[in-house]
Amino acid sequence: MTLLDFARGPGLQWSLTIMIVGLCWRVVGVFLGRWRRDLSRPRSDDLVQGGLRAIITRSAPAHDLEKNIRFQHYTGYIWHIGFFMTVLLYEPHIAFFKSILGFGWPGLPSHLVVIPAAITLAVLIMLTIRRMILPVMRMITRPDDYLSLIIIISALVTGLMAYAHIGPRYETMLALHILNVELLFIWIPFSKLAHMYFWLLSRYRIGTYFERKGVKA
Amino acid sequence: MNLTSTAIDQLQADNKALADKAKPTEMPDAERVARAKHVFLKRMSIGLAMNLESCIDCGMCAEACHFYLATREPRYAPVIKLEPLRRFYRRELTPMRWFNRPFVRDINIDDLNEWQELVYDACTTCGRCDMICPMGVGISESVRLMREGLAAAGLIPEELRAIDQEQREKGTVLGVGPDQFTKIVQELAADGIDVPVDKDQADILVLSSALNMRLFRRSVAGTAKIMNKLGVDWTMSSRCFEAANFGRLSGDYPAEKTATLRIIDAAKACGASKVIVPECGHAYMALRWEGANMLGERPPFRTLAISEFIGREIEAGRLRVKAIGNGKSVTFHDSCRLVRHGGLLAEPRIALRALGLDLREMESRGRTAICCGGGEGGIYISRAQTLRQRAFEIKKKEVDETGADSLVTSCDSCRYNFISNGAKAGWSQTVEGLVEMVANNLAD
Repeated sequence: MTLLDFARGPGLQWSLTIMIVGLCWRVVGVFLGRWRRDLSRPRSDDLVQGGLRAIITRSAPAHDLEKNIRFQHYTGYIWHIGFFMTVLLYEPHIAFFKSILGFGWPGLPSHLVVIPAAITLAVLIMLTIRRMILPVMRMITRPDDYLSLIIIISALVTGLMAYAHIGPRYETMLALHILNVELLFIWIPFSKLAHMYFWLLSRYRIGTYFERKGVKA
Repeated sequence: MNLTSTAIDQLQADNKALADKAKPTEMPDAERVARAKHVFLKRMSIGLAMNLESCIDCGMCAEACHFYLATREPRYAPVIKLEPLRRFYRRELTPMRWFNRPFVRDINIDDLNEWQELVYDACTTCGRCDMICPMGVGISESVRLMREGLAAAGLIPEELRAIDQEQREKGTVLGVGPDQFTKIVQELAADGIDVPVDKDQADILVLSSALNMRLFRRSVAGTAKIMNKLGVDWTMSSRCFEAANFGRLSGDYPAEKTATLRIIDAAKACGASKVIVPECGHAYMALRWEGANMLGERPPFRTLAISEFIGREIEAGRLRVKAIGNGKSVTFHDSCRLVRHGGLLAEPRIALRALGLDLREMESRGRTAICCGGGEGGIYISRAQTLRQRAFEIKKKEVDETGADSLVTSCDSCRYNFISNGAKAGWSQTVEGLVEMVANNLAD
């Protein structure tokens, strides 16, 4: 079995299994905790609407708050959009999803997908340096944060190297890229990258929490 | 020198003596840590767990915090204030604890001592950080749990501890008890303002507070004038008039519960359908939003802040006021507890508009209003005053930018903070209470 065979076969199966089981373990584990029922008389009757509203509106904070976080806010948008464009619109990635899901979707020409991938990489490197330089970010940052950044950045780097045929021969580079992505799958449930599903839950929850008090959060 | 400034000088002198009055809470360090952990464990809920699971360490919360913005001190970033709780959660509670444990250091007494300053002096749990977090983390409620842990560990700052102990043991706050209450009622009666006291049955139970009585008696008088003008069936209790809840401010959960249940019992005893909380944000929070949780069921009355009551009565046409007019401009300070944590954005503005005032809003208002820097007991902690003064400067700048003749608020703690910090800063801004403004301009 070659490295590429391993990456495409057992490596992929195991990493996806660990990710799915890990995600379920973490979410179910949290929900098995104690539910503190709030008995106060709500000011608003539609807590669900408040929760759903927060899921959307938290993507764009109020002006007087946003003015202080413009850089983080927009770089966050740029790299998330670029990352998902790269993952979802690159033809070989779509072929991979088709092999698992049984269906695909139209992609972008490869040379166009390189652009969001490169921008994402540049922004992530910039944000990593920012974390290392700014005193407040340095204090907040934990090893988890750097490790998550390294794994995502290296997935982008190996992907771009495989695309551009840089480094070892193509099959080896591709295998390294796939293994890197599998490492990302495994790391997600153990790290802050679990926010990929917690963001919905926590935004919904804060929305209902404040809606009860008549505040649009 | 008017009554208020004399009273403020006296209160500040009393504050300085508070630290000496606090009884020590002696226990071994290991027990302090164990107690804090026990509270973290006991009070943990799915909602709080979600907060601790969701943080992505983005640091945006720092940019909403007046203490961080005023100092640019990294440790004042709201997320840092949760660090011992986060560490405990990651080691002991998260479903991934078995993975985290080797990498996460356990909390110790040094952590608790260090975080005392961060969660009491450098945080008013104002919740502005809750509004900026892209993940929707409820940071302020998590800081509250930090306070509860530290309180259980006997690490409430001395001044707050002294008042908390006084309220728990004597039922009084800042020395204001039934005797002082009766004296003030008699003074009001001498001025022709009738306050019905200890009625067996009444539709509305009106509360007051020590701060209200010591500093802003005209607000007490104003409340009585408004209630009498409305002709409602109301009373005050000489044994249970205190709305302030220093258990809540300190994180002393048992004391908070005792103080809240005391009010609920008094309201039940007189069959009140409404309880009116004075101009005190945290008292509103304690009774309106936590009262039912303390009782274990919804109490048989509604809790309203006095500003909420006034706004609704004006809107309904039952309370009529004279337009002050004359081009007087005001800006309104939204107390964190009443607005961001209480939803009372519209009601005070209804009153101000009815008074015909030129309302000039600050840049940060409503749910994103910046805190005055004095809330959650901070005004009593001596060592925190320099820091609080710096945080206050941000608010002062926003007020100044409106160019308003008068700054109006409906929270006594905020008002006290504006007056005392304003004096230190040589600020000439007029600061007024909403109740007094309305009471002084009741229509015939």
